[in-house]
Amino acid sequence: MNAAPFQVKSRIVNDVAVIYPKGYLNNLSGEGLVSECGRYIETGIKKIIVNFSETDLINSIGISLLLHVMEELQTTGGTLCFTDMDKVQLGIFDMLGLTKYFRFFQDEKGALQFLGGSAE
Amino acid sequence: MPLYGIPAKDYLDREDELAYLKRLASLRRDTLADNVLLIGPRGIGKTEFLKQLYRSLFWDSKDVVPFYYSFKTAALKSTTFARDYFARFVKQYVAFVKKEPLHVNNMSMPLPRLIPLISTLGLDWLIDCIDDFQQNTDQGDLYGQILSAISTPVNAAVRGGRPVLVMLDDFTASEELHETKRGDAPGLTSLFEESMKNSLCPHIITGSPSAKLEAIFSDPALHKGTERMRLYPLPEDTAYALFSSLLAKMKISFDREAALDIIRRVKGSPLYIRNMARAAWKMKKNNLDKKDFSECYSFEIIDGETAFYWSSVFSESLRDKGIRRTILELLMHRIARGETGDQERLSKVLGVREPRLSEALDALELNDFGGSDDPLLKDFVQSLYFREVEGKTGAEIRKLIEAKYDVPADSSVFEMVIPMSDQAELVAARAVDQIGKNINLEPELMNYLQLALVESCINAMEHSGSYEKKIYLKFTTTPQRLEIAIESPGRHFTLDSLKESPTEEKMTAGQKRGWGFTLMRKIMDEVRVERISDRTRVTLIKNIKRNEVLK
Ligand SMILES: Nc1ncnc2c1ncn2[C@@H]1O[C@H](COP(=O)(O)OP(=O)(O)O)[C@@H](O)[C@H]1O
Ligand SMILES: [Mg+2]
Repeated sequence: MNAAPFQVKSRIVNDVAVIYPKGYLNNLSGEGLVSECGRYIETGIKKIIVNFSETDLINSIGISLLLHVMEELQTTGGTLCFTDMDKVQLGIFDMLGLTKYFRFFQDEKGALQFLGGSAE
Repeated sequence: MPLYGIPAKDYLDREDELAYLKRLASLRRDTLADNVLLIGPRGIGKTEFLKQLYRSLFWDSKDVVPFYYSFKTAALKSTTFARDYFARFVKQYVAFVKKEPLHVNNMSMPLPRLIPLISTLGLDWLIDCIDDFQQNTDQGDLYGQILSAISTPVNAAVRGGRPVLVMLDDFTASEELHETKRGDAPGLTSLFEESMKNSLCPHIITGSPSAKLEAIFSDPALHKGTERMRLYPLPEDTAYALFSSLLAKMKISFDREAALDIIRRVKGSPLYIRNMARAAWKMKKNNLDKKDFSECYSFEIIDGETAFYWSSVFSESLRDKGIRRTILELLMHRIARGETGDQERLSKVLGVREPRLSEALDALELNDFGGSDDPLLKDFVQSLYFREVEGKTGAEIRKLIEAKYDVPADSSVFEMVIPMSDQAELVAARAVDQIGKNINLEPELMNYLQLALVESCINAMEHSGSYEKKIYLKFTTTPQRLEIAIESPGRHFTLDSLKESPTEEKMTAGQKRGWGFTLMRKIMDEVRVERISDRTRVTLIKNIKRNEVLK
């Protein structure tokens, strides 16, 4: 775990927003992620993928902010998918009994297929 | 009782100092030496040193007369003091000339009964002194009486033709000489000035605390013409020799390494070494191992002679009960922090207002409690604090003290302090990373441990209402176990107060925070939360299984 300063990049694939949180997902960066998602939701996007391939460490505040995103999406009938999590990250969600509230995919491709967008 | 020191063969390690002071009288006569202030912390052996010097001069010297006086046992009402000082001097002088130790300590014998003996010894001038003193006493002038007593050694040196080596022990108590009640005649100590100036009558002065002694001698009248001699702790090998000979005398055997551990802990203080040996005896221990010594130690701190010793020092020097609690809190604060902090902040942190705080700080300085790095004093203070302020029981305190030193031999310990600032917890996480690598921890487990620590740091930051924005970390590892203690000042919390609701409940209640302790407990084998003074300590413990280590 070599937590780097947090950045959030994103892109649109058809009607799906893919977010790439990078580094340490804590309160500060988590807020960044929430507002990035918020911007997409405002434009009518209902499908969001969070790709964790570049995320090092998610702390409990980061997790609570992800829950926040999920809630916001749910109110508009949208879907949130997580991809590219490592074993420890998955383990943390498992420890907290949160796996049933999210959809996890091994990679972005699988999530895009599930959401009915194509993988480029 | 100057002649009742420990046997010379049991007295260790001060030969050079003794040799020098035996020559003090002749050096002083040739103006090659000053009076000597003997400096050293409580229990280092100042009194014992004077006793050894006394005995050696008493038996071996023909021309230097030793005189020992302790203000500790002295009556500090000035007229009583004057008579006592005078009578002791006369008796010790006579005893020296006759080489009859009986007279040294025989305080019940009235002086007039000694006159025939004095006369046969050819000390007629001493009889004159007794008459003079009697006259002064009858005339009843306070200063006259004291001066007359104090100047007797000088008179004796001049008229008797033999220098007198005056040893004043516990001189710090001389500040309390008074006429009818404490504090009604300050400055009587300065009456010693004249006699200290006389080169036929060198003085060795000592007492505790050193700060107080130095304060008395900062008076310019006394300051001139004094040199300092410092007594240092016994070196490790000497300390070990002392400890093992004390235990051997009581037919107690012990493990050498464990004994060395204790000796290092008491930092070569002969008082503590002796106390620890006695504790072993009192607790009826034999074949002492690490655990036994650890029990003896906590006994000493809580109920033993060390506890008794410090309790009496405390009640002697801190007579005002009200200030005592403030002092305890101040001391605890310093012990916990290792720093003093400025007064304004201290006042806020401790919730103690001026001028009480200043008063307490002054008392700390003057009594040498403040800057002390004496681990036993610190442990004593801590145990007192646990009892008096936190209401812990003896058994609880004992456990805490024993746990404090319970470090397995194959362990390594790292400590660090991080600020309460954004992402500081990542620095701590990095430390765990390297510490884990040092013991070949499997990387996945390490990532979990890092998270547990991060959570604990974040929690500490959230709960801190403190001025001091710091988190204290201590990592202790053995091949079988990793323990991380996270201490932070601020509002207290307990595991109960942190009860995190189950996930289902959280999700329905829309309450998404508060996963930290759940994570810590899932990741670690044990999570403890304790209150240590004004800090909260969270301890994370992980027992390392064989499959969690890289081959
Ligand atoms: N050099 C030494 N060797 C052995 N025992 C010593 C030595 N110095 C002191 N002691 C013992 O240590 C204890 C404390 O010494 P003491 O002279 O009372 O200390 P202080 O007067 O400095 O407070 C006494 O029991 C004394 O006999
Ligand atoms: Mg003493």
